[in-house]
Amino acid sequence: MISKVTPAVAAAVLALVTGTGHADTIDTIDRYVTFSGFGTLGVVHSDYSQADFIGNVVQPRGAGFKSWSATPDSNLGGQAKFTLADSLSGVFQVLSRDDANGQWKPTVEWANLQYQITADLKVRVGRMVLPTYEYSDTQYVGYSLPWVRIPIEIAYTDAGLHSDGLDVLYRVKTGSVTQNLQLQWGRTRVDLPGSEFTSTPATVVVFSDTLQYGDTSLRLVYQRYSSSGFPPVQLGVTGAGLTYDPGGWFVMADSNYSQDKFFGDLFSWYLSGGVRIGRFAPYAIYSMSRAQSVGTSRLTALGNDHTVAAGVRWDFAKNLDTKLQLQQVTIDSLDDPASFANLTSRARVGDKADVLSWTLDFVF
Amino acid sequence: MVIVNLAAAPMSKEQVADLYLGRSDDCIPIDQPVGSGIYVEFYKKVTGRDSAQVKAIWSRLLFTDRGVAPKQLPNSAAVKKAVAANPKAVGYIEKSAVDASIKVVLSVN
Repeated sequence: MISKVTPAVAAAVLALVTGTGHADTIDTIDRYVTFSGFGTLGVVHSDYSQADFIGNVVQPRGAGFKSWSATPDSNLGGQAKFTLADSLSGVFQVLSRDDANGQWKPTVEWANLQYQITADLKVRVGRMVLPTYEYSDTQYVGYSLPWVRIPIEIAYTDAGLHSDGLDVLYRVKTGSVTQNLQLQWGRTRVDLPGSEFTSTPATVVVFSDTLQYGDTSLRLVYQRYSSSGFPPVQLGVTGAGLTYDPGGWFVMADSNYSQDKFFGDLFSWYLSGGVRIGRFAPYAIYSMSRAQSVGTSRLTALGNDHTVAAGVRWDFAKNLDTKLQLQQVTIDSLDDPASFANLTSRARVGDKADVLSWTLDFVF
Repeated sequence: MVIVNLAAAPMSKEQVADLYLGRSDDCIPIDQPVGSGIYVEFYKKVTGRDSAQVKAIWSRLLFTDRGVAPKQLPNSAAVKKAVAANPKAVGYIEKSAVDASIKVVLSVN
């Protein structure tokens, strides 16, 4: 995160502010470039021997029986933000975590130029992470999350990857309600192991509206992928989420309905709540993924599982937190249940996995 | 503690909270050092949050390139000076530090 201001620098800033009298020039420290970063060190244990518990649908392996795995949650990210002119800036963010090929390899998640046209209108060109669901664009910044990780079910049809294209952000105020509108268009590769458009780039269009009223926020999103690869993809995702977080406690719900000719329709949702007691924030989550129709793939219950989780976040030091989460995942289908990879032939519908996760998150 | 600005137009607690939590960019919020007495009191009373929660909120904005946390100045005197020099700047200082160079837009007890 941004480094602390030293008295000498602050004095210089004040001098500049006094000199010009312009609002924008208050940001003269770190004028050209600022560096920041984040990371998570995590281990996961599962007591289920017939599949690997994964932290993200793209991961090909995770925590199996009696083995601890760092794969689901561990990551490291770095960001550089460049200020090129008063209304022109650039951002570059690199993330390393176990990817779809099971390799710890850095990828560029954000790389774009941002032009501020008016106080409420911004345009970005380059690479942006898709805003498909709540926290999808900071899901790997563990410090920003109340839980160990985003409920996997919500990300099942869309892992929340980046696209290369254009993004328009517009803020509208109506009384005490602020709407943040976002329209994104670009090309992307959705890298699901062994399925979907692994090699053919898809066109993606996203429209989202986040309505903020004090501590309440409502998020609506529609996203559409199209690709002419095999199978041809016409995937539409409609999402809605609601958060109320006055500080001392929070409730959050998010959902999405995805429609695809090949895979059929899927509905995913979760409900979560938590309280804050000093530096501790215990929470609970219930999440689920349910196939709604059969596509031409003839998979009848793709992704089906559900999870009950409880955990606690402890902000034990500045810019550091640690979380412990226990969850029970029930397999409701043998067709690629959302939370698992590598099912053995002995896996059965109704099997339950008890999964224990521990993470240490940091930002700087 | 008081919230100050060059203009005398009063602000609501919600408006101030929105500024310091990155939900509004109507003004430029100026911060005191993280963990200082006045910082802790301000965030607790105005936003209902502690420093870790505030950091988590700004992390979300920073790593999606949607905002940068308020600049921190070392003390109330510096905040006052910055506010006096910039009509868009908003700061928080002790009631006892108020003088003619700035106006109180909200008092928090």
